[in-house]
Amino acid sequence: MNLLMVMLFAPLIAGFLAWLLDFKVIREVIGIIGASIPIGVLAYYYSTVTSESITYSLTVGGFTLGFHLTMLTWYFAVIASIVGIAMAFGMASTSKSSYDWLFALISFTGVLGVFLSSDFVGFFLFWELMTFGSFMMVLKRNRHESLKYFVLSIIGAYSMLVAIGIIYAKTGALDFNTVQKALRLDAMVGSISRGETALIYTLFLITFGVKAGAVPLHVWAPGAYSENDQSYTAFFSGALSKAGVYGFVLLYILMGAKLYTALGVFNNHLVFAYILAWIGAITVVVASFLAVLQEDIRKLFAYSSVGQVGYILLGLGIGTGLGFAGALFHVLSHAIFKSLFWLVTAAIILRTGKTRFEDLGGLAEKMPITFTMGLIAVLSLAGIPPMAGFASKWLLYEAAISAHMPLVAGAIFLGSGLAFAYVVRFLYAVWFGQRPSDLDDVKEAPLPLLIGMVILAIPNLVFGIAPGLVTGYFNRLFGDTIVGGNYFRLVTPTGTYNALLVTVILIFGLSIAGLIYIYGAKTRKIPVINTYQSGNPVTEEYNLSMRKNFYRPLAEALGFWLKYSWDRFYERLANLTEDFADWLREGFYNGNAQSYSWYLTIVLLILALWGVL
Amino acid sequence: MFAWKLVLEAIGMLIYATFIGFIFMGIERKAMARIQRRIGPPIYQPIIDTLKLLGKKESVSHGFIYDFGPVFALGASITALLFIPMGNFQLFSNNADLIVVAYLLEVPMLGIMLGAMSSGNPYSGLGVQRGLLTMVAMQLPYGLAIIALVQHWGTFKLSQLVALQQLQGWSITVPALALAFIVFDIVFQALLGLEPFDIITAPAEISMGPMVEYGGKQAAILFTQHAIQLFAETAFFAVLFLGGASNLLDLFLKQLLVLFIAIFVASIYPRFTIDQAAKFFWKWPTIIGIVAVLLTM
Repeated sequence: MNLLMVMLFAPLIAGFLAWLLDFKVIREVIGIIGASIPIGVLAYYYSTVTSESITYSLTVGGFTLGFHLTMLTWYFAVIASIVGIAMAFGMASTSKSSYDWLFALISFTGVLGVFLSSDFVGFFLFWELMTFGSFMMVLKRNRHESLKYFVLSIIGAYSMLVAIGIIYAKTGALDFNTVQKALRLDAMVGSISRGETALIYTLFLITFGVKAGAVPLHVWAPGAYSENDQSYTAFFSGALSKAGVYGFVLLYILMGAKLYTALGVFNNHLVFAYILAWIGAITVVVASFLAVLQEDIRKLFAYSSVGQVGYILLGLGIGTGLGFAGALFHVLSHAIFKSLFWLVTAAIILRTGKTRFEDLGGLAEKMPITFTMGLIAVLSLAGIPPMAGFASKWLLYEAAISAHMPLVAGAIFLGSGLAFAYVVRFLYAVWFGQRPSDLDDVKEAPLPLLIGMVILAIPNLVFGIAPGLVTGYFNRLFGDTIVGGNYFRLVTPTGTYNALLVTVILIFGLSIAGLIYIYGAKTRKIPVINTYQSGNPVTEEYNLSMRKNFYRPLAEALGFWLKYSWDRFYERLANLTEDFADWLREGFYNGNAQSYSWYLTIVLLILALWGVL
Repeated sequence: MFAWKLVLEAIGMLIYATFIGFIFMGIERKAMARIQRRIGPPIYQPIIDTLKLLGKKESVSHGFIYDFGPVFALGASITALLFIPMGNFQLFSNNADLIVVAYLLEVPMLGIMLGAMSSGNPYSGLGVQRGLLTMVAMQLPYGLAIIALVQHWGTFKLSQLVALQQLQGWSITVPALALAFIVFDIVFQALLGLEPFDIITAPAEISMGPMVEYGGKQAAILFTQHAIQLFAETAFFAVLFLGGASNLLDLFLKQLLVLFIAIFVASIYPRFTIDQAAKFFWKWPTIIGIVAVLLTM
């Protein structure tokens, strides 16, 4: 058995074993082992993959599935595996059910398979496996949300199937190498018409857009991310959404040349990429605004996930080497900080059982380690130097502005302001202020969950201070120096960011401030409610922290826009379809034998006219 | 080799910036008072205030984050300051990037918010909310002004921006960037927290908002932070639009000019409410910003 296959199927097998041997500790141990095998294998392959790609093919029932581990797929697979281990540790604390382990690990294998497949057959099969696993996780908890996810995924899957079908009809091949060559050749010959190319592009846009959660196909995400085991959501939002991103990268690799010649350029931007950039920009703005206005901790992070993946699409859409570097870097940083957020959320929900901001508060004293982890995630998401989130966002800024996409870059500015707003809201409502009295005996998160958090927090710091580790890998991936500098210093043609220097000076600044603090007067600790209240003393009965409708003025300023919602539009569409189907059923299946015989006559008549009979 | 000269320069600049920052705060109060036909406090009043706060025998604390917030804010302000080229003192500006400095200038806000939030005072909470919403509102025009600037000069490096402006004339002499300048100046009012965008502190409404709970040495740290931040932001403005400076005196005059514009605007306008501010920022400054950005494309 090939090591690549061991890595691919280890989570799946572990999932089945955990499901069969449904005993308390054994289940968790098997799950964690299964989830940690991929990262081990990938680490082992690191030195090989940087010089040559590894391929393997598997014959199942007449189909030959090809797998390849290239520098690009290695990168995506590593991200999925890091998040996968963290998920497994988290689930060891939050999930008591073997059902969860089975389907979570099935989707883990699905994601790895999507990244590793080197032909469309395997790609599609694993894509469906991934969707199935994640769908079952939602189905257990909320049927309505799971159906929403299911319907959109099905639409995506059929789009992909049709697109693959067209490609197969035109090129006669399914494996990526041949398809790439054929389409590159066709870019010059032009036997596939412009309309057909646009159709294939649109179909793939729908497929990958659904999975990545691009507006307006994002509506499944808030429901599916929140109605779930939050440890699994870490993987769902951290790794599964990256499959959509990987799809877009694949689209570039396979069809880039063809799309360029068929769709042309607009204002020095590739048209197909420009569309992607705008989809990304709109996703960033819409989802971030919605995230700011949420009242539920899970919904907030769900919308934030959608928005952050928007940054990645935007980066891919810029279409320059720098844009790719930024987007791929953001794939990593989003995976590590957002999954960390979800694990922190998992801990909060596990310990308090509450999800709405109005019921939470003052937990920083009770869960100090979880709070610290949450703070690292906040700093990284808000893009505070020197965190991984800043390095990737910085690359995106440089890429967007130097590619002369000012309005798209404006969306990044607005989006990061909004990101700042919603993470601070999370900090305020959950960790600070007066604590509701029913949360007085909350304990720190359990150990496995904390281990999961630490696994994700460390890369946030390491890749923040040494972003060159990641960009250096990209340079080798592209075979060109996109981002120069060394481990600590990033240099682009127009700008430079020295993460280590920022860190050192920040420490210098903090120590000066710290000296003033330490040599200042003694401090006396007073309780939270002992505050200035214009002379009115506060008693315990009132909770004066603002938990509900924190950003109401913004909602008022946005009143006009909030009247419209994609979610409500789809719901209405679904209701209309349902009503129509009801009407059909009641009209036709009326239980009257006479009408059934009429149907039969009509059908026979049509067939006769058609010349079949 | 350890760069002793650089470290000494950095410390010297820090002391200078703190002192001038306090003087700026004093000038702000004095000028405002003169416009309102009051006498006003002496210019060195903020220094006395800060020393008094430092001299307090005891300060209260709501916990670790409450203390950490101001310290973090001051640390971040110092970091931002040291990345801005100050006349003939280049400091660390060879490595300074416009985006990095713009972000570093926003970090102190997070520190203040962290401290304010952990105090549990409803006024602090309101202040945090208002601060963030102002930031959200101003972010788009702010970004557009910066984008226009970078598109015109083709570089993100602050030292290069200064060099280019010395050669080809200040940013504001370019018509498109003059528009960006107008936008940036409006946003600047909000950056400094002055009327009509002093929504964050709003002394008459929410008793200084985030700062309401602070006293003693934490307040002294916040005062110092404000002084350094004021110095850094005015210098940042001068570097971006007024051609930087060749020496500290030159820089000082430009900073003073920027500061006085801000003071004059602040003393004649009343305060916006948040939704008014958001609607305002998303209308005229954004439109002008988009025009500037398209002109520089």
